[in-house]
Amino acid sequence: MVLKKILLVILLPAVSLYGQGRGGAQQTPTAKAGAPIDVTGYWVSLVTQDWRLRMFTPPKGDYAGIPLNAEARKIADGWDPAKDEATGEQCRSYGAPTLMRIPGRLHITWQDDQTLKMEADSGTQTRTFLFGNGEGQAGTWQGISKASWEYLPAAVSDTLGAGRGAIDRRGGSLKVVTTNMKPGYLRKNGVPYSANAVLTEYFDRLTEPNGDSYLLITSTVEDPAYLAQPLMFSTQFKKQADASGWNPTPCAAK
Amino acid sequence: MKNLYRSVFVLTATLMAGAALAQGNERQTSGIDISGSWYNVGGNGGDGMPILAEYGGMPLNESARLYALAWSPARMTVRQQQCAAYDPSRQLHGGGNYRFWEERDPVTQRLIAIRIYGQITEAQRTIWMDGRPHPPAYAKHTWLGFSTGRYEGNVLTVYTTHLKRAWLRSNGVPQSDQTTLVEHFVRHGDRITYMTVLTDPVNLTEPYVRSTNQFRSVRQPEAWLYACDDGEQDVGRRDDEIPSYLFGQNPYLREYADKNRIPLVASLGGAETMYPEYVTNKTATDAEAMARTRPSTDGLQITSRAVDPEPHDGEIHAWPVQGNVHLLIGDGGNIAVQVGENGALVVDTGTGKLADKVVAAIRKLVGDKPIQYIVNTNFRQEHTGGNATVHEAGSDPSLIGSFFSAGGQSFSDAGVGATIIAHNNVLNRMSAPTGQLAPTPSGGWPSDTFLQGRRRKYYNDEAVEVFWAPNAVTDGDSFVHFRRSDVIVTGDLFTTTQYPVIDIKNGGSVQGLIDALNAILDKTVYKHEEEGGTLIIPGHGRICDEYEVGEYRDMIAIIRDRVQAMINQGATVEQVKGARLTADFDSRYGADTGPWTTDMFVEAVYTSLKQGRPKAGATK
Repeated sequence: MVLKKILLVILLPAVSLYGQGRGGAQQTPTAKAGAPIDVTGYWVSLVTQDWRLRMFTPPKGDYAGIPLNAEARKIADGWDPAKDEATGEQCRSYGAPTLMRIPGRLHITWQDDQTLKMEADSGTQTRTFLFGNGEGQAGTWQGISKASWEYLPAAVSDTLGAGRGAIDRRGGSLKVVTTNMKPGYLRKNGVPYSANAVLTEYFDRLTEPNGDSYLLITSTVEDPAYLAQPLMFSTQFKKQADASGWNPTPCAAK
Repeated sequence: MKNLYRSVFVLTATLMAGAALAQGNERQTSGIDISGSWYNVGGNGGDGMPILAEYGGMPLNESARLYALAWSPARMTVRQQQCAAYDPSRQLHGGGNYRFWEERDPVTQRLIAIRIYGQITEAQRTIWMDGRPHPPAYAKHTWLGFSTGRYEGNVLTVYTTHLKRAWLRSNGVPQSDQTTLVEHFVRHGDRITYMTVLTDPVNLTEPYVRSTNQFRSVRQPEAWLYACDDGEQDVGRRDDEIPSYLFGQNPYLREYADKNRIPLVASLGGAETMYPEYVTNKTATDAEAMARTRPSTDGLQITSRAVDPEPHDGEIHAWPVQGNVHLLIGDGGNIAVQVGENGALVVDTGTGKLADKVVAAIRKLVGDKPIQYIVNTNFRQEHTGGNATVHEAGSDPSLIGSFFSAGGQSFSDAGVGATIIAHNNVLNRMSAPTGQLAPTPSGGWPSDTFLQGRRRKYYNDEAVEVFWAPNAVTDGDSFVHFRRSDVIVTGDLFTTTQYPVIDIKNGGSVQGLIDALNAILDKTVYKHEEEGGTLIIPGHGRICDEYEVGEYRDMIAIIRDRVQAMINQGATVEQVKGARLTADFDSRYGADTGPWTTDMFVEAVYTSLKQGRPKAGATK
């Protein structure tokens, strides 16, 4: 009995101290309050890679680097932007899998404590990232995006057991999984993705010694209908102090 | 019961210690573990196999754009380019397999370093995680630079300096030795997203930001090597023949733009091409694009954006170079000191302003052994100014008591003071015929001169060769090769700080300089992928290796060819200067004030080419 009391007296502060030092495992009330990084604000895309393919509409049949299957190539080879315009489908290349690659600016805000809103000036598109049980709108260009924070696991939890499941709040990532999208284009020249495509993204914020901040987006598109293997890419945005350059433009089919 | 108590104690002590360390920040911050084998999955494209004049999305300044447009792919066949390796960002943004592992202190398990092996060019890299400082600016640069890292939450951030001049893109877009690199490794499961922010004040107007993706390899890749040898030969091509396009004459200028049906001006890059506005603002005409393929003639003189590697703090700084050879820097011109069981052999002595401190620094290296020899690489003040003081501090035991000094011979002071060795033209330039006023005091004059092509010594168990370079920057230049240490001291034949000071009045010539640099390159051997092996101490600036001498040689040969082309068209020296034929190198070496400006260099090249190379030999 005495031993139990001694154990309690000694162990409780130790575990408590440990939890403070490593960030603790307490539940956060809302996504906004529990955010390990701040992704809000205005961000401008830095088009330094795949430059020609992103800045200019590539010619029909230019789908190098995308693991398309035969069916997808057939569709891409039949790309007809005039037809897309005529049918009101000029936003096909502004869906969630492609929107981050389009040169433009993002404005990210908290719509409420459980929802991040991302506005893109190119194509005047809006994505909503749902942390809670909110429901998005299926069958749209931006689909339904479920969001969660990914924290760094606490360092010693697995070895001691005492802190198993604990998290380290000194950093982390925003994970977004998007489904139920309206079929669109992975590239402006008609390279297709289907309604069954799944987009998984990680948003990381990186800060430089000179104070510049970047938003790094790591993306994977899986599409059993058109892709022979997952399509992976990453895209970087630079933080802006204000809304300079914000220029909402409508979708363009070519 | 005893076991229970023991268990309680161990568990409690462990938790208390862990908590205390975490609170007190004494424990090293841990982060993501990226150990293992990884491979690049690409996905972002664009950098792998670029076409000539494909610079869209790159924040190039005028110097970099002109450099790239003058670059001929045949340049890759030049010997020093054949096995040139990559900087870290080009390594990891490129293909191949990678292995990451940790180096930890075996006792404390503190993380000392993260090691990376890259298949492409067999790159072996160290990221120091123990908080050590970066080396001084005069230390040598390498392909992979000097890297220190820290964990920032779930990100490993690495800061790299001391990078060698490299290629930002393999179509001739340059990356300078002034580049600093910030890398972020972000791990999500079995994937690392790798983002780099590359800052190059010489070539870029803004940081160049890229990212790519690495995947963990479940199976150990079997391809780890990257065979390279500089054995390719272009039979019949002279060593001073460096492939390059004259400004405005790149035959492939339009290939990329035409093939992809994009405006020419867009393909030429610039920071504006990175931003979304460029999609809608592509209004430049073809004439405006063509204007960007030649140096602007708005009268603006571009000057060097490089850091001066010499500390100007009134102190002499010693730095080990290789083997028995050390660099002393701080007195205006580089000093090399070879030390060993016999004593010290000193190459050049600085301006003389800090001569006493130079002697003290040599003494610190050689102890109570004599400062026996001084070798001068030329007659200039910044290389001979300390001669008298260093000479007086030394002695030459090989002469004391010899037949030179014994028995009342005419050299009774032989061996008193260090022996000063130099080409005879150095003595000629420092002294004067009897009865005339000498430009320098006699105490610093060379006492052991040579006229032939090579002076040899075997000193401190090492062969030391002094090679005369006729009519290079002066008529009395020498470079010194320490053969066992494998270090070459070049004097002003090679610097990292400015265009070469070709002194026409004192017998210098541009062709003689190029020949001298090729003579140096004939002595050098790299260790691996154009790196290491023979190290170079320049007359001014930081420690280098043969690749950097090759780059310097290429620059001078390219400028020579441009000036010659204008001379062939009948241009005057003012017209040549106005054409800004050095525009692609000015942001690294240019100067518009001081003792040696860009205009003075161009005029020297012009005059040298007009006069032809002087006949080698004594000038007085």
